[in-house]
Amino acid sequence: MSQVFHDIEKKIITSLKENPIQTPETLEKSTQLLPDQIRRGIEWLKLKNLAIVDESKSSTISLGKNGLDSFEKGLPERRLLNLVKNGPRKLSDLQKELGFIFGPAMGLCRKNNWIETSSDKIILKITPSILPGEKTIQQIGKNKLSKEQIDKIDLTELLKRPDFIVEDIIKSKKISLTTSAKSIDISNTSGAIDVEAEVPEIFVARTHPLKDTIDEIREIFVTLGFSEILGNMTQSSFWNFDALFTPQDHPARELQDTFFLDGISAKKIGTVEQISKVSDSHKKNWRYQWDINEARKMVLRTHTTCVTIKHLAENKPDEARIFSLGRVFRNEKVSYKHLVEFNQIEGIVVGKDANLRNLMGIQREFYKRIGITKIKFWPTFFPYTEPSLQTMVYNEKLGKWIELFGMGIFRPEVTKPLGITKPVLAWGGGIERIAMLKYDLDDVREFYNNNLGWLRSNTKCQ
Amino acid sequence: MPVIELSYSRLQKLIGKVSKKQISDSLPFLGLDIESEDKDLVRIEYSPNRPDYSTDYGVALGLQGLLGIKTGSVKLAIKKSKNYGITVKPTVSKIRPFVTGIIAKNGKIDDKTIKQLMTMQEDLHFGIGRKRKKSSIGIHDLDKISFPLIYTTVSRNHKFIPLNSEKELSISEIIADTETGKDYGHLLGQSSQVPIIIDTNEKTVSFPPIINAAITTVTSKTKNLFVEVTGINKDDAEDMLSVVATILQSAGFTLEHIQISGAKNSSPKLQEKKMTVDSSLINQTLGLNLNTSKIISSLKKSRLNALSKGKNIICTIPAYRFDIFGPMDLVEEVALGYGIQNFEPTISPSQTLGQINPISLQLKSLNQTMIGLGFLEALNSSLSSKRVLYDMTNRDSKNIISVLDSKSQEHTLLRDSILPGLIENLSRNIHESYPQKMFETGGIFNLDNPISEKTNLSAISAHKDANFTEIKSVLQTVLKIGFGIEIQTKTAVNSSFEDGHCANIIFNGNIIGIIGEINSKIIDNYKIRVPVVGFEISLSDSILKFI
Repeated sequence: MSQVFHDIEKKIITSLKENPIQTPETLEKSTQLLPDQIRRGIEWLKLKNLAIVDESKSSTISLGKNGLDSFEKGLPERRLLNLVKNGPRKLSDLQKELGFIFGPAMGLCRKNNWIETSSDKIILKITPSILPGEKTIQQIGKNKLSKEQIDKIDLTELLKRPDFIVEDIIKSKKISLTTSAKSIDISNTSGAIDVEAEVPEIFVARTHPLKDTIDEIREIFVTLGFSEILGNMTQSSFWNFDALFTPQDHPARELQDTFFLDGISAKKIGTVEQISKVSDSHKKNWRYQWDINEARKMVLRTHTTCVTIKHLAENKPDEARIFSLGRVFRNEKVSYKHLVEFNQIEGIVVGKDANLRNLMGIQREFYKRIGITKIKFWPTFFPYTEPSLQTMVYNEKLGKWIELFGMGIFRPEVTKPLGITKPVLAWGGGIERIAMLKYDLDDVREFYNNNLGWLRSNTKCQ
Repeated sequence: MPVIELSYSRLQKLIGKVSKKQISDSLPFLGLDIESEDKDLVRIEYSPNRPDYSTDYGVALGLQGLLGIKTGSVKLAIKKSKNYGITVKPTVSKIRPFVTGIIAKNGKIDDKTIKQLMTMQEDLHFGIGRKRKKSSIGIHDLDKISFPLIYTTVSRNHKFIPLNSEKELSISEIIADTETGKDYGHLLGQSSQVPIIIDTNEKTVSFPPIINAAITTVTSKTKNLFVEVTGINKDDAEDMLSVVATILQSAGFTLEHIQISGAKNSSPKLQEKKMTVDSSLINQTLGLNLNTSKIISSLKKSRLNALSKGKNIICTIPAYRFDIFGPMDLVEEVALGYGIQNFEPTISPSQTLGQINPISLQLKSLNQTMIGLGFLEALNSSLSSKRVLYDMTNRDSKNIISVLDSKSQEHTLLRDSILPGLIENLSRNIHESYPQKMFETGGIFNLDNPISEKTNLSAISAHKDANFTEIKSVLQTVLKIGFGIEIQTKTAVNSSFEDGHCANIIFNGNIIGIIGEINSKIIDNYKIRVPVVGFEISLSDSILKFI
């Protein structure tokens, strides 16, 4: 069987046959491959024992800033000696003339006994003909030389001085073919490819995982006979609270729970009849002075119920199954459990036969379709429903019951003022909670981080 | 929702023959969620409409009913008495017009009971008291007070020793320096006169709604109590009093009447009320078929009294159950007494055909097209920040819509554009491999009497060869395939884009968006190392079809 070669390998072998010892750079030129392809090709050939990679290190030497200075003007000690050549000089004058090199120059000259100091004068004792390092500085000059060309003793001396010598270490790879590779006849190799080789990772474009959950829930509602309605995220307090029997002085209406829009009020909030009947219901049942300006204040909806109640007030259906799905807002501190903005689903059934057992039955059916079968119902409280229940679902992974959707029948104090005469079942809850169970997340913020690492790797069918 | 800590052993003593398990199994069916348990202690969450559940006495009453140990309503036995009176002066009318109260005698108060009474008081203040604005309570040691009392007003120079203080303070000092003064002083406004309860020896008893006098402090040695409630509405004040009276009676106190008069005030009645509910409303609403005797026994388990008259059920509701507004509330009481666990869920066939909203359908198709073009869907909050929306992207922040008092600095403004969020997303992914292509469809907000909400599509592509041509091809294709729409691009200048590499998107002669290479300053701001191109178009006005 003939050997299997990747195109990259074929090109590299061919080039090395023509020119037996090459560097990756020369291979790039001769094969027209990218550096990364050359790197991979060499690795593959090396693994197959077809290529030899000889890695070597070499150093080049050039002068640094101070070295170049000495090349042009002489070593500091030579410059000092030159200045005292023609007779003693005042120390302070020399200091001025030589600047910062004065210190090191003095040190060296004194150490070698070339000069002596008498009171404030410096006097020459001997002039050495050649100083250590002097020749080498001249030898290097402005060039780059290989380390081997340079006198070792001189180099050691100069390396002690700051910024005199720059040493560059160069790694080089020399690639050649092994004997067995040299005998390969590329033109005679098979057209097959290496099907066992690793391939590069590519990334999928996809819907957002939370959107998948939202779409799934939307489909379930539709198959249960529900029609979708849409509504605004910004709402007047009237529809978000007053129409839902939440009194104006209720703690939930305060800034710490609800996002009020700074200085923005709605001019028109409802019909004259709606406003007067809703306010009457508040005055009678909650015993306070209802204020229309409070109802005009715009908020970011705290639930989608404002959308459904508005729809019911406008259409007054005798029979209906509707749902609304969208973002809702709570002024909370963001944490692994809480977001300021999340998605809510809400379903509504209107009809003369709508009753609590039906409401529980629809819940059971819904949960069954998202794969939850162990559920139970507990009583709870919501300002706008009576009776009110919540669903508890058993989570196998966590091994405990967790709270999901809330539900109830709209209070007559809500429906009557708006002219809704038939019983209205309502239920709903956060979608992120369901999605967290589905994707096994313990931090809800992940849904809005747009972290490509997570989005690109998350399994789509769960 | 408020949370209270109870002890199983204390509950067992109060309820009668009952096991710990029976209690923990039954609590949720009273509407009380168990937050956590630790041996004898259990923390439960209760609804603000049932302040009687803020003490173990109230919870015990409920459990006795549900478990069938004691059923029917709790009757308040209030002894008539002429020993106690409060006279109200007309000066209080303008500031806090009503006072009511009750005497509770011969009870035993241990530290746990005191703690519970204080929690109940705080919950009542917060809930029906609306943070003491509507009504507030003071509970005092009766034996430190000499009746009759006067409810009147004094100037802010008036001095007494307030609760938790050792020295005399003036009203002004109390408001300025004490914790409750700072929290609730504003309820009195700028009025120079403030409400006060003074005893017959002119000793200060209470400065409502701020603080009691130190002298009447209730301790574990206290045997007899005086409870006062003041407020701006007489009915609310009596509602509050009825909860305290019911709990104190359950705790073993004997109640005695206080005579109150003056300035439209009168003695509290704390009377039961009667309400009729049609048994067919009950059965229709619950989906059950209960006979009247089953309905009556269920109501009794919910600690109400009831009798039948034909199809009608006549209910007697004690004063502390002011959460019962009308017949529908009684339906719920029947459901609770019957037991929510006994309801068998049913499903009735749908009479309607389901439909996805056409807008949602169109947006879904649009998303699929963008994905087909290799773009990954991103999701950002509509509440963003000035930094992301304007500062980092050089955009004009003239018409911002901000929310009040956000607890999160990253969420203070409603977005008027999606693109800035997507660019910010790129900055968080600079360590991930390129090309990075993302898109988002979602709501944007603009000021418009008061606010207009529109749906936009924005897409972004970042990699070393990203250029105008590439992103225009994407835009052109998504609109052609998605909606059969052809657009033009006309040179434009925009601070978010590079000059000479930016265009308005034109459809039917109208500008519907912007496209181009993102300004290199913005890319530098975010330390992104590759060129970025992107577009944003408005879908609401001319592209999405409203059917």
